[in-house]
Amino acid sequence: MIESAKAKEITVALAGAPNVGKSTIFNLLTGLSQHVGNWPGKTVEQKTGVFRQGDLTMSIIDLPGTYSLTANSVEEQIARDYLVHENPDVVVAVLNAASLERNLYLVAELIELAPRLVIALNMIDVAEQQGMKIDPEALSRTLNIPVVPIVARANRGLRELIIQVEQECGTAAGLPDVKHIEYGSEITNVIDHVDSLLDDGITTPYPKHWTAMKLLEGDEQINKLVRARIPAERWPALDSYLREHESAAVTIATLRFEWVARMMAVAQQKRRVGQVSLTERIDRAATHPVSGLVILIAVLGVMYLLVFSIGVPIQEFLNINLIERTRDFIYSLSYMPQWLQGLLADGVLSGAGTVLTFIPILFLFFAAWAFLEDTGYTARAAFVTDRFMHALGLHGKSCLPLVLGFGCNVPAILGTRIIDSPRARLLTILLTPLVPCTGRMAVIAIIAAAFFGSAAVLVSIGMIILSLLIMALVGLILNKFVIRGKSSALIMELPLYHVPDLKLIGMVTWQNILAFIKRAGTVILAVSIVVWLLSVIPGGNVNDSVLADIGRFLEPVGRLMGLNWQMMVALLSSFVAKENTIATLGVILSGSSGDFTQQLKAILTPAAAVAFLVVQVLFIPCVATIAAIRQETGGWKWPALILVFQTVLSFAIAIAVYQVLRLFPGM
Amino acid sequence: MESERIEEYLEAIYKRQGREIPVSTSYLAADLGVSQPAVTDMLRTLESKGLIDYKARMGASLTPSGEERALAVIRRHRLWERFLTDVLGMKWDKVHKEACRLEHATSPDIEKGLSSMLGNIDTCPHGHAIPDEKGNIKPEKHTPLSSFRPPQKVRILAIENENPKLLRRIEKLGLRPGVVVTVLKKNKDGSLDIEFQNTRFTLDSAISSVLAAEQMPVTSLPTDEGEIALGRLESGEFAVIKTCGGGRGSLGRCLSLGFTPGSIIKMIENYRRGPVLVRVHDTEVAIGRQLAEKILVVRKEAS
Repeated sequence: MIESAKAKEITVALAGAPNVGKSTIFNLLTGLSQHVGNWPGKTVEQKTGVFRQGDLTMSIIDLPGTYSLTANSVEEQIARDYLVHENPDVVVAVLNAASLERNLYLVAELIELAPRLVIALNMIDVAEQQGMKIDPEALSRTLNIPVVPIVARANRGLRELIIQVEQECGTAAGLPDVKHIEYGSEITNVIDHVDSLLDDGITTPYPKHWTAMKLLEGDEQINKLVRARIPAERWPALDSYLREHESAAVTIATLRFEWVARMMAVAQQKRRVGQVSLTERIDRAATHPVSGLVILIAVLGVMYLLVFSIGVPIQEFLNINLIERTRDFIYSLSYMPQWLQGLLADGVLSGAGTVLTFIPILFLFFAAWAFLEDTGYTARAAFVTDRFMHALGLHGKSCLPLVLGFGCNVPAILGTRIIDSPRARLLTILLTPLVPCTGRMAVIAIIAAAFFGSAAVLVSIGMIILSLLIMALVGLILNKFVIRGKSSALIMELPLYHVPDLKLIGMVTWQNILAFIKRAGTVILAVSIVVWLLSVIPGGNVNDSVLADIGRFLEPVGRLMGLNWQMMVALLSSFVAKENTIATLGVILSGSSGDFTQQLKAILTPAAAVAFLVVQVLFIPCVATIAAIRQETGGWKWPALILVFQTVLSFAIAIAVYQVLRLFPGM
Repeated sequence: MESERIEEYLEAIYKRQGREIPVSTSYLAADLGVSQPAVTDMLRTLESKGLIDYKARMGASLTPSGEERALAVIRRHRLWERFLTDVLGMKWDKVHKEACRLEHATSPDIEKGLSSMLGNIDTCPHGHAIPDEKGNIKPEKHTPLSSFRPPQKVRILAIENENPKLLRRIEKLGLRPGVVVTVLKKNKDGSLDIEFQNTRFTLDSAISSVLAAEQMPVTSLPTDEGEIALGRLESGEFAVIKTCGGGRGSLGRCLSLGFTPGSIIKMIENYRRGPVLVRVHDTEVAIGRQLAEKILVVRKEAS
C-alpha cells in the first residue's frame, strides 16, 4: 500500500543577474499559468506562476534581475525586500556558468539573507564551448549548497532542479552548515559594534546583523530606515561611528570578491581559453563610436523596415476590411435604432476599433524590442548613444525608447523601463510625446500632400525636425530647471550576448499586447464613446453638437493661428487616435463641395495650413499614450501636466508660426 | 596723532583689499567706526601723500608705498598681539585693542627686539600671517568654514574678526588656529554641524563665517608611482584598481560591480570621449567618462 503523501505547497523565488536565463526557467516551469503585474507601488514587472507535479504545488516568483542586493536600484531593493518580507521557502540562485565569477557575488549576498538556497548553474554548455570546465559537485561540497547544472534553453536539468528544491524544503531553515564568508576579526568587530548600537526590533524585518553590515556598506535605504526608528539622541553616535568607518564598505566588498575568487578556484577545473571572448569581439564593432553608430542605425533601419513593410499594410487591411466593412454592415442593419448604429459604428469602431487595428504594428515593435533586449544589444545601443544623450540630462538608455517613439509612443513609454535612474526615466517619459509617431506623421503627410503638392515631403521633414528641436529644448529646460536632482553617472553592466529565446520573446510580446488590449477595452473605449457622444448630442449632427460648441468656444484661440472651429474640432478628435483628425475632417466637411483637397483649401490659407501641421505635430498625445504614461508614472500628476503643457506649447508655437508667416505675401 | 590715524586707515584698507579692490568708503567707515564724510576727507589726504589711489564713489586702493607702510604697521600690530598673549598671558580677545595702541608707539629697535624675543613666529594669535621686516607676507588662502561642502575634514587657520565677544565664544568651544574639525552638515538656517575632539556641536553662522579654514589633504593611500585615472588606459591594457572614487551613491554601485582595490581590470574600449568599456570580474561594464576619471589604477602587464 502506498501511503498517501501529504500535498505539498512551497514558495520558490528565482534570483539572478539579468540575462542568465532566469525568465527561460520561469517560463519552462510555469508555462501559461503565469501572472504578470507590477510590484506593489513600483513599475518593475512582477511575474508569478505555479508549477504542479504530482502533489507538489510550487508557487514561483521571478525576482527582478540584479547583480547584488545593496539597494543601488529599484530592482535590487525589490529583490531583497521580497526575500525579507515574504520568506520564500527556497531561493533558487540562477547563475550563468559562462560568467560565474560575476554571478557568485550575488550568492555571497544571498547566503546572508536566504533561508534555503539552491544554485541552478545555467548555460553550462556555453561555458564548455568557451573552454571552461566547471565542477558543480566541488562547488556544492565547498558551499554546502546543492548545485544543479542545467541548460534551460534545451530544457536539460530542470527535473533535477525540482527534485533538489523539494528535498531542500525538508531541511531546517537557515543555512547552518553553509560556508559563510569570513570577514576577518577586524571588520567583524566593527560590524558587531554597529550591531550593539542598534536596539532589538528596530530593524525588523531585516536581520539585525545584516542591517549593521548594510549600514557600513552605505546603503541609503537602510540608513534612512534606521535613522527614522532609532531614538533621536542615539543617532549622532551611530552616525559618527559609521563615518569613521566609511572605508568598511570597501573592505567588505573586497572580502566578498576574495571569497568569490576562492570559490572560483574550487569550481573551475579549466579556465577559459583565449583572452578575447565572442562578446568582446562583437563589442569591438558594436561599441565603436563610428561603426557602433552604423550598426545601431542599421538595426533600427531593419526594425522600421519590418514594421512598415509588414505591420502597416496589415493595419490598413484591417482598417478597410474590418473596421470600414463592419461599419457599413452596422449601418445596413435597418432594424437597429439609429443611435445604437452611431454608437457602435462611430463611437466604438472608429475610436477603440481603429486603435486596435494598430495591434499588428505594436506587436512587431514589442517583438523587436524584446528581441533586442534578450540578445543583450540594448545595453550596447545605450553605450553608443550615451555621449549624445548626456546633453539632455538623459542616459544612453533613453535613446532607444525615444527612437521607438517614432513608431508609436506607447511601446516607447513602456520601453523606458530599461532606464534604471528614476530621474532619467521620468525625463524620457515626459519627452516621448514630442517624438512624432506614425499616427501624427500620417495626418501630416495627408494634409501636406493635399496642400503643398510636390513640397509635401519637405514640409513633413520640416515638421519632424521642428518637433525634435522642440524636444531637445524642452529636455534641456526640464533638466536644468524643472526636475531636481543630478543626472546620475553612467555605470552599467553589459550582459553577455546570447542567442535569443524565441519562446521568451513571444511571451513578453504577448503580455504587452494583452495589456494594450486591456487598455483599449477600458480607458480608450470609454474616451472613444465620450468623444462620440459629444459629437452627436444634442441634435445628432456634428455641426451643432457639443463637440462643435467646444470647437466654437476655442475658435478665438484658433483664429490666432488661422484655424476655424472645424479645424479645432478635428484637432481635438486626435486625442482618441492621431489618425482621427482626417476622419473627423471628412465628416465635418462632408457637406461642402469638391474633394478633400478643395475643401481644405477653402477653409485654410497656406499660413494656416502650416500652423495646423505645427499644432498637430506638437499637440497632446493620444489617449493610449496618456494611459501608458499614467501606468508608468503611477498617477495622474504627470499625465495631467503633459496635457496642460503640450496644449499650451502647441498653441503658442502654432500661433507664432502663423503670425510670422502671415506677413509674407501669398500666405 | 596724524600719523597714527594715517596708519589706522592704511591698515584697514589693506585688510579690506583682501576681499575687494578698490575698497569702498562705506566699508571703511564701518571698520573704523567713523562717519563717511570723515573717511572721504581722510582718503583725500592720503591720496595727496601718494599713499593711496582714490576715486570718488569707487573707493580707495593702496599704492606700493602705501602698502609698504600698511604692512609695517600690521607687522608691529601682530607682533604685539603675540607678545601680549604668549609672554604676558593675556586673553586673545583683549589683545587687539592693546596692540592697536602699541603699534603706533613702536620704534624700529623695539620691533626688532620683539621679533627676536618671539623667535620664528609667523602668525598672530588669531592665525593671520605676520609680514617679515622687508614687508613680505605669506598669501592667505583662507576659505570661510561655511563654504565647505560637508562632510569634510578641514583645518582652522584663522579667525577673521577681532570682536571680543565672538572671540570669547570661539575660545570656549576650544577652536583656535591649527585645530582640525570635521564639517558634518550644513543646516537650513546657515548654521553648521561639526565634529571636534569626538564631540558634535552646531556653530551658528556668525561663528562659521569668521572661521577661515583649509581643506585637509585627502587621506587616501600614498600615491604610488604610476597611479593614473582609469580613463587614461588604452584599449586592451590591463591594470590593478587602487582607489575607487565617486560619491556615496556611485561608490556603492562601483563596489558591488567589483571595482574593489586590488581587482584586475581590462580596458576594452576607450575612445577618449564618451564612456569607456572595461572588463572587471568577468563582466563588461560601461562607465561614464566622469566616473572613469575618479577611479585610480596602476598599469599591469597582461598575464
